[in-house]
Amino acid sequence: MHSNKLGWLLLAPTLLVLFFFGVLPFIYVVYVSFHQWNPFAVNPDMVFNWAENYRRVVFDAQFLASLGVTAAFVFFAVISELILGYLLAQAFMKDFPGKAIFRTIHTLPLIMAPIIVGSIWKLMTTPSIGIIPNLLDSWFGYNLNIGQSAIAAFITTVVMDIWHWTPLVTLTLIAALVSLPPDPFEQAQIDGAGKRQIFWHITLPMIRPAILATVFIRLMDALRTVDEVLMLTGGGPGSATRYVGVHIFKEVFPRTNYGYGSAISVIVLYLTIVVCWLLYVFLIAPRNKKG
Amino acid sequence: MTDLEELGDMDEKLNLHEADAPPEETKTGFLPIQTNWFDRLFISVVIWVALSLIWFRFIEPFGPSIWISNAIALALAVLIITKG
Repeated sequence: MHSNKLGWLLLAPTLLVLFFFGVLPFIYVVYVSFHQWNPFAVNPDMVFNWAENYRRVVFDAQFLASLGVTAAFVFFAVISELILGYLLAQAFMKDFPGKAIFRTIHTLPLIMAPIIVGSIWKLMTTPSIGIIPNLLDSWFGYNLNIGQSAIAAFITTVVMDIWHWTPLVTLTLIAALVSLPPDPFEQAQIDGAGKRQIFWHITLPMIRPAILATVFIRLMDALRTVDEVLMLTGGGPGSATRYVGVHIFKEVFPRTNYGYGSAISVIVLYLTIVVCWLLYVFLIAPRNKKG
Repeated sequence: MTDLEELGDMDEKLNLHEADAPPEETKTGFLPIQTNWFDRLFISVVIWVALSLIWFRFIEPFGPSIWISNAIALALAVLIITKG
């Protein structure tokens, strides 16, 4: 009994911080989502309107379209980051000249604030002054204009996300690869296993927890991408890059529609939790059950 | 008392040994995965929200009230929590 009390006492500061800065704001957002509340409207009061905001969300064509482009963005960005991150992690496991400098440069995007990343990419992709349109034009004769082409804008946001977040995947996978015991690899080599077999049957299963943790982190991050996309494309052209985070931002801040924005936020949080939970159930839980 | 013994003593006070922790009550019902009561509550809430949103979008425009969906979700929740 005494040890339990001591345990709770030591946990109390963390639990209090978590409650005040995590749980309480969440409860407040859920509370607001059941109200009609525009503090700058003629009637600035909060009016309880049952689930009217949720009823409106499921018919909001712009929100549903933003869910679709967000799903595509998350899929392409996370898959690309995972593959590139793994290849880079494998490259960093070997020694080559200039490895330390390359690793430092490679990690630099990770320490940049998303708004800075958005500004840099905005400068790099602005037609006539940006380096990317100039190079694409001189090398391939392709005229990149993310203000006009929806596909180009979408691909640019995906590439920007890959540029920004691949170092995180690389660092996580390097940590996983470094911690692998050498014995199974030596044993496999003695038994005559090829590189591909070693990858599929030893490396991949052993770094699976690290891969899944990285996918979870990147998935959650990619689903709430706002600032860098807002800086680069502003959600356009049209609504080609209006990802859910951008959609919520535009609903909450310029329109000050807090009740409806909160309802969308709750639904996005719900979808994020469900996607992560499904990934957990299908990829981790069956393995634990077997073990 | 050496440092290690002191650490061991602290572990005991804090009940950090997994073996000392109460066993987690998990079971396999009609759900395809092993769950504890919190998992089943979570699954019920997920289903309740999904059912409500689907109801709003596809069924409510034809007349049936959202309370029917809530009643179905509640019945499902009871079933999942007790038999899942």
